[in-house]
Amino acid sequence: MKKFFQFFLIIFGSVMIMKSSSIENFFPFDYKIETLENGLKIIMIKMPSNGLISYYTIVRTGSRDEYEPGHTGFAHFFEHMMFRGTKKYPGNIYDKIITEIGANANAYTTDDYTCYHLNFTKDNLEKIIDLESDRFQNLMYSEQDFQTEAGAVYGEYRKGKTNPFFWAWETLCNTAFERHTYKHTTIGFEEDIKAMPKMYDYSISFFNRYYRPDNCVLLIVGDVDYNQTLSLIKKYYQNWEKGYVPPKVETEPEQTKPKRAMVKYPGRTSPIMVIAYKGLQFNPQDKNYVATILFGKLAFGINSELYKKLYIREQKVLFLEEEFSFNKDPFLWMIWAQVKDEKDIEYVEQQIISTINYFQQNLPDTKKLEDIKRNLRYSFLMNLETPNKVASILARPLALTTDINSINYFYSTLETITPRDIQFVAQNYFVPQRSTFVVLKGRE
Amino acid sequence: MKNLFFSILFFAISSIFFVKCGNNGMKETNIITLKVDEDPTVSFRIWFNVGSQFDPKGKEGLAMLTARLLAEGSTQTNSYENILDKLFPIASSYSVKVDKEMTVFYGRTHIDNINTFLPLFIEAITQPAFKQEDFDRIRNEMLNYLEKDLKYANDEELGKATLYEFIFKATPYEHLSEGTIEGLKNITLEDVKNFYKKYFNNNNFVVAVGGNYPENLPLEIKQTLKSKLNNGSWVSPPEINPLKINGWEFLLVEKDCDATAISFGFPIDVVRGDEDFFPLWLFASWFGEHRNSSSHLYQVIREQRGLNYGDYAYIEAFLNGGTLNFPEPNNPRRKQIFEVWLRPVPHEARLFTLRAALRELKKVVENGLTAEQFETTKKFLLNYSLFYAQTTMERLGYRIDSKFYKVQDNGDYIEYFREKIKNLTLEKVNNAIKKHIQYNNIKFAIVTKDAEKLKKDLLLNAPSPISYPTPKPQSVLDEDKEIEVFPITTSNDKIKIILVENLFKK
Repeated sequence: MKKFFQFFLIIFGSVMIMKSSSIENFFPFDYKIETLENGLKIIMIKMPSNGLISYYTIVRTGSRDEYEPGHTGFAHFFEHMMFRGTKKYPGNIYDKIITEIGANANAYTTDDYTCYHLNFTKDNLEKIIDLESDRFQNLMYSEQDFQTEAGAVYGEYRKGKTNPFFWAWETLCNTAFERHTYKHTTIGFEEDIKAMPKMYDYSISFFNRYYRPDNCVLLIVGDVDYNQTLSLIKKYYQNWEKGYVPPKVETEPEQTKPKRAMVKYPGRTSPIMVIAYKGLQFNPQDKNYVATILFGKLAFGINSELYKKLYIREQKVLFLEEEFSFNKDPFLWMIWAQVKDEKDIEYVEQQIISTINYFQQNLPDTKKLEDIKRNLRYSFLMNLETPNKVASILARPLALTTDINSINYFYSTLETITPRDIQFVAQNYFVPQRSTFVVLKGRE
Repeated sequence: MKNLFFSILFFAISSIFFVKCGNNGMKETNIITLKVDEDPTVSFRIWFNVGSQFDPKGKEGLAMLTARLLAEGSTQTNSYENILDKLFPIASSYSVKVDKEMTVFYGRTHIDNINTFLPLFIEAITQPAFKQEDFDRIRNEMLNYLEKDLKYANDEELGKATLYEFIFKATPYEHLSEGTIEGLKNITLEDVKNFYKKYFNNNNFVVAVGGNYPENLPLEIKQTLKSKLNNGSWVSPPEINPLKINGWEFLLVEKDCDATAISFGFPIDVVRGDEDFFPLWLFASWFGEHRNSSSHLYQVIREQRGLNYGDYAYIEAFLNGGTLNFPEPNNPRRKQIFEVWLRPVPHEARLFTLRAALRELKKVVENGLTAEQFETTKKFLLNYSLFYAQTTMERLGYRIDSKFYKVQDNGDYIEYFREKIKNLTLEKVNNAIKKHIQYNNIKFAIVTKDAEKLKKDLLLNAPSPISYPTPKPQSVLDEDKEIEVFPITTSNDKIKIILVENLFKK
């Protein structure tokens, strides 16, 4: 479970801000921001790191941008292609250089962005800038390479399919959304993945539309010298041509009635259930948005009454977890549970609903609310341990807003949330007509 | 408890005094410290010299159940709910890790909150309530893991778990640390209490503290544990002598699954700190660095052929490999295996992929690494190893492991490791491969559908031609011709099939 949702958890970490009276000084590290003429934004953060540097290229395109039918999963597939090399550094040479400098290089794709990250020692900074700027500008791959990689992506899909949470997740997205691209998961629909080898030409157009400096953020954290780094960045990235073409993502129509779906998992598993409500888009200055995040913790978090009741006292569930997402467009606020006994599914569902009802009718305890705010501040502080952790925490808010201050705004808003605000969001957003309920059952 | 609590409150004032007085508590043999002044947090690891190898026969899982009951249960003064309530506002928690050889309670808190955190942490270890409802909850979770999660929700870990059981059959390392289904069902609360009394005793632990902690804190914790825990002594571990492997022995797990998971390996006589450990590490890194495209197997199976998601090799147990990029400390073992992990491949490519991996193993055993492969991997490891332990908590864990393995690294294993790698020669690496790595006696654990068919193919040494949905370069196709007929030599008595339902029963 934790693994499946780690990406959400990271996101959560990103808004956990230490207590501070002013916006300027709560982020404990010094940073510098620059934007090149071609629109590429660079954020450098200095922190003690034993000579290590984290280098993140955040492409603000994820599976959300796959709006053309039959092309789901492409953002993720493309992430794989980015390792296939250029004329100057073909894939095997790129790999060899990365290996020789002992860098830890990888990438991941989410619904809203794709992230290429490397960790390495500072003496290799120029080499890395050279390699990274080159592949983002001059990626080149044969149709054959492209087709081979499609096999690996299908392998990744098969790997995911051995996990029942993946099945529940796929059904949830597909059921909750009608028009918006959040209808498919990041890995994509299976039939689209199977058809990928035939889409070489489309992949070139995907690269040309989305892999542009005006759609990217460079985040460099650790033992960095601002001036030296910036002059290297200019040298290697300034010729990258702008030209981002935004995707035509449809707006999701207002949901008018509750939805339900049932999944049969071919393996054995304790039943998994999720109740999801249509959420709001990420906006750290929106009181309702921030209050909802707090509501999730209050009602369903690890020190909530419901958690104690269902997990510790009655032992009806193996876990109960809230996952309130941070997304470019309104996504889902989810309450997940794994129920020990199938006959308790209805009971647990009803307990979740009555908890929501409770918060609609009653103001939450002020101390509990303050405890949660405190928890968020300390979690944030304690997570900023290494350059890679700092970069991974910041990646999503930067992908959504490009603004490091979004964290500061979130924190300021957080401090202002009152019990009344919590009640307001419970009353207005956690209503049946915004909900989708999915149950997964394994085989007997 | 109160005493400790007050003495901690007192630390802010007293620590300076202790420094000036030249307190020599740090020389204590069962205290490990790592002072990091710029770290605003304090990390704790309390190592108990007990693990699943001490589980009594028929009560497999007892060590983990006992430890989890301490870490996730009520204490004599606080209910588990109260504990969660107190820890929540300070965003701190404690947990436990139980492996074959050791049990480590660990937790981390901001220096501001040490007075809230530490008493709860110590109390969990010294004054557990052993409530029936906590026992039931945790045992159910462990059973659910064995009966459902591992068998039906994660074929990758399933294959690896099966391989370890197969290799360590009839030794105290055989069963998973989570135990067996029957073993867990047999355990009573009374068993837990007795196990706690015997092994979580006042001479069977080591305290490790890191970060920006008050100077005398480690000694204080040690003394508290010493006085609060039951009297006992440091226990000696049982012998671990894996059965001899005769040729290629297969354990096929029949399961209705979408793809085949393959793990194979054999025991080696090398552990961390041994002279041959470092050359072997370099070899394993070249052959199959965990989740890294530099892995040779990854290049052959994934990069060139697109058959799966990744292919790796190890000379030390790597837990949670599906989730983690780097190894976590504190699962040291006196007996390690050389292990190859091939992530799920389509059923139709299972035999081909297995052959491809075995053929690469045979090639490297016969020819060793080339000078270029050696130099590249050496350069890689010198920097890459810096990522193994970046946080105070991780470094503290490595210090515990060094103590376990008796590695004389002056408290910095990563630097020690890099120094060893720096001094390696190609000859040393190839000699170590010759001495410890072979392809004649191997155990295989394969989770697949229609295991009977695979058994037949293995026995017949049937060719396994491969076709790709997409065109491949001629060089790959030529090599495929050799791979598809790479000889499989085994016999009927060396291939067992087990239904997935029957795994981890007892």
